[in-house]
Amino acid sequence: MNWVVFAILALLALTAVTVARLRQLWAAVMFTGIYSFLSASWMMILDAPDVAFTEAAVGAGISTVLMLSTLALTGEQEQPTKRSPIVPLLVVLVTGGALIYGTLDMPHYGDPNAVVHQHPDPSFVERSLDDMHGLPNVVTALLASYRGYDTLGETTVVLTAGIAVLLILRRDEMERPAIANRAKRRRRKANA
Amino acid sequence: MTEHLPILLIVLPLVAAPLCVILHQRTAAYTLALLVSWITFGISIALVAQVNQTGVIRYNLGGWAPPYGIEYLVDSLSSFVMMFVSGIGAIVLVYAPKSVDDEIARSKHYLFYATYLLCLTGLMGMCVTGDLFNVFVFLEISSLSSYALISLGQTRRAPLAAFQYLIIGSIGATFILIGIGLLYQMTGTLNMADIAARVPQENGPRTVLVAFSFLVIGLCVKMAVFPLHTWLPNAYTYAPSVVTCFIAATATKVSVYAFIRVIFGIITPGFAFDYLPLDTELTILALVGIFVASTAAIYQANVKRLLAYSSVAQIGYMILGISMSTPGGLTAGIVHMFNHALIKGGLFMIVGCFALRLGSVKLDDWKGAGKTMPWTSLGWAIGGLALIGVPVTAGFISKWLLLTAAMEKGMWPVAVLMLLSSLLAVVYVWRVVETLYFSEPTAKVLKAKEAPLGMLIPTYVVLAGTFVFGVWTTYSADLAAAAAAGLLGATP
Amino acid sequence: MNSPALEQAAGLYNYWIVIVLMMTGFYIVLARRNLIKAVIGLNIFQTSVFLLYVTMGKVRGGTAPIIPPEVAEAQAKAMHETGHSEHGTHALGTVSEEIVGAHAAHADLPGADIIYSNPLPSVLMLTAIVVGIATTALALALVVRIREDYGTIEEDRILEIDRADGLPDDDDEDQWIDADTHSLAGSSPDTPTDSESVN
Repeated sequence: MNWVVFAILALLALTAVTVARLRQLWAAVMFTGIYSFLSASWMMILDAPDVAFTEAAVGAGISTVLMLSTLALTGEQEQPTKRSPIVPLLVVLVTGGALIYGTLDMPHYGDPNAVVHQHPDPSFVERSLDDMHGLPNVVTALLASYRGYDTLGETTVVLTAGIAVLLILRRDEMERPAIANRAKRRRRKANA
Repeated sequence: MTEHLPILLIVLPLVAAPLCVILHQRTAAYTLALLVSWITFGISIALVAQVNQTGVIRYNLGGWAPPYGIEYLVDSLSSFVMMFVSGIGAIVLVYAPKSVDDEIARSKHYLFYATYLLCLTGLMGMCVTGDLFNVFVFLEISSLSSYALISLGQTRRAPLAAFQYLIIGSIGATFILIGIGLLYQMTGTLNMADIAARVPQENGPRTVLVAFSFLVIGLCVKMAVFPLHTWLPNAYTYAPSVVTCFIAATATKVSVYAFIRVIFGIITPGFAFDYLPLDTELTILALVGIFVASTAAIYQANVKRLLAYSSVAQIGYMILGISMSTPGGLTAGIVHMFNHALIKGGLFMIVGCFALRLGSVKLDDWKGAGKTMPWTSLGWAIGGLALIGVPVTAGFISKWLLLTAAMEKGMWPVAVLMLLSSLLAVVYVWRVVETLYFSEPTAKVLKAKEAPLGMLIPTYVVLAGTFVFGVWTTYSADLAAAAAAGLLGATP
Repeated sequence: MNSPALEQAAGLYNYWIVIVLMMTGFYIVLARRNLIKAVIGLNIFQTSVFLLYVTMGKVRGGTAPIIPPEVAEAQAKAMHETGHSEHGTHALGTVSEEIVGAHAAHADLPGADIIYSNPLPSVLMLTAIVVGIATTALALALVVRIREDYGTIEEDRILEIDRADGLPDDDDEDQWIDADTHSLAGSSPDTPTDSESVN
């Protein structure tokens, strides 16, 4: 098992670095999709099949499609930049260093005595057995019930994004009095 | 019925938003949004009264008790913040129709009002929830809707400003998510009270420390604390007038609220200020921010941008108060959230009036408008006085409280610097007053009419508020003091 | 190398790799000059945060938090026999005691020895994934809009165009008017700004 994990982790790191270096946006989007798939595979190994499915469908599927359709409208080559990458690199190194420092007191990977697995007691799995009358998938139980309002919020986020995309993409300048009036004034000035 | 008020506060605007979309008709959508926002305001006033009588209200969503379920928590602080956020939201909607008609295409109005309600939902949700992950979800609702609202501005720079805000804002939100994750890792829970009780103070401080820093940095981005404020000037400048009024008055304040919750509700001031020297850092950042942003405001040619920089400076005063972590300082910080929401809301509403009649927010185009738009110009003068902090205005109350708190703590240099910074405010407010009253009006200004009453009346209601709460502080400073006492008392 | 340090490395390397991944995404966002690249970076940053959470939920030797049907059935039956946990126990505020009792009673049932990984991080991340795609969709819509208005998605180019339009604080509100008068006159609906920088 272990070497599969190592392979996935190595590939993940490789893919991320590749995306950072690529200037061809089309390829970068493809690699982002691959990154999502690799993440989904690792999530599978980490006992989170629900997240893995969602990541594969949403991260690798929908978001890749969205990005490719955007690319079709915008062009797909990133221009080389003259700016130095040193400042972002420093910020990232400091942030990453801080995070690694932060892991030092964390319970080790997979430790069954970690606080997250001890609290609350009885655990969600046991609670759900009692409360949900035999619903097999505990993740579903949590999603729809104990943390149902997060799920409602999540649906609202999707609604917000939907409305927002409509608002943003519909072109309407001449329907706006503020802009149309200025245009009229300008044309009058040009004619005079 | 009354026990369900906390959830109604969220569900009403949440359900009304898709209804607006379904109605698909601008007047109907507007009426619904107006109605719902006023009901929301009414509910939050009822909650303030209820909290005053019976103390903290806890509401378990779906009947699942924490730490399993999500808990809504209404205490004196959150009810206070919800009251003024929904109040501003409601009054800005009364003010909105004329300005929205002018600046936003008719075919988009119903979507606009739906998004406005969603933004309100997100902000109220952030205030009312007692669950850290739920804060993230509501933060995203309010952020996504504000990106969309900002992108509706009149120039092509508006979508760009929205995009830049989106990138910075999402980085902030991801930092918050990392912080929440690390805290969860160390405590096994997401309920704020439960986290506060279980945060290992001796055991594993390194992870908690990093978790805390990520939360603070993420929230600082959202609050636009100097030097993480870069998104704010563009966003406020290029957004439609109504959106600027609403977002400037509420969104950063709610983030400040979340920040106060994190410091006093979760991590305890003892850890934040004694173990970490966060108070010194925040004080320095706040002071530098106040001076840099106020100075930048002086040099702006665009009035909206001038006010935006002034907002960054005002956030500095709030942070200053919070970082003192004394009852006096905290009260000053909290009451300044309220007072500044009124003042800046009012001033941006004035800007909206000028934008409607003069078609511009550039200072040069406002020359001599005091002659043709006397009431609007007077409104600027009134709001400006409050912003400077002249006695009998709300701005004075918060600065006075801040000043006394600083002196109590023996922070004389801070007190002196605060007074100096007020002089900068005098300069930038005066520049506009001078342009309005002491410049020769241009031909365009001479043709301009006074702003319509439908916009002036709500504006003056807000501006009158800055005087009312400058004299009569039962519902501002006293509530804030109660909130501060609650926060400091609740922590061991 | 002393052994506690080695042990720590063995216990934490997963997190460290996740952190490296997160920081790669963060770097892409910070160093980008192309708007789509920024969105890509944000995606990678967020996906890596999902990995951080999911890693926390794993228990060594555990399995996905899905209760085998036969176990669930046995538990449900046992519950009916003891007659506990019918409706009404979930009213506001009822928590543990009786459930702890029930839990003890279940200990000898089949499947009680299965170790489940923690479901909560999965639940949180399901929400976060959806939030992430919503953000991506909105960002891409803005990118399309910016491309229409400026003719490019390179940030440096856009800033140049803005500078050419006027001082950064002097927003020229007539920018769109050209575009619209053109399209009203029947010319190309595409934007007037230079398209030379694309491709």
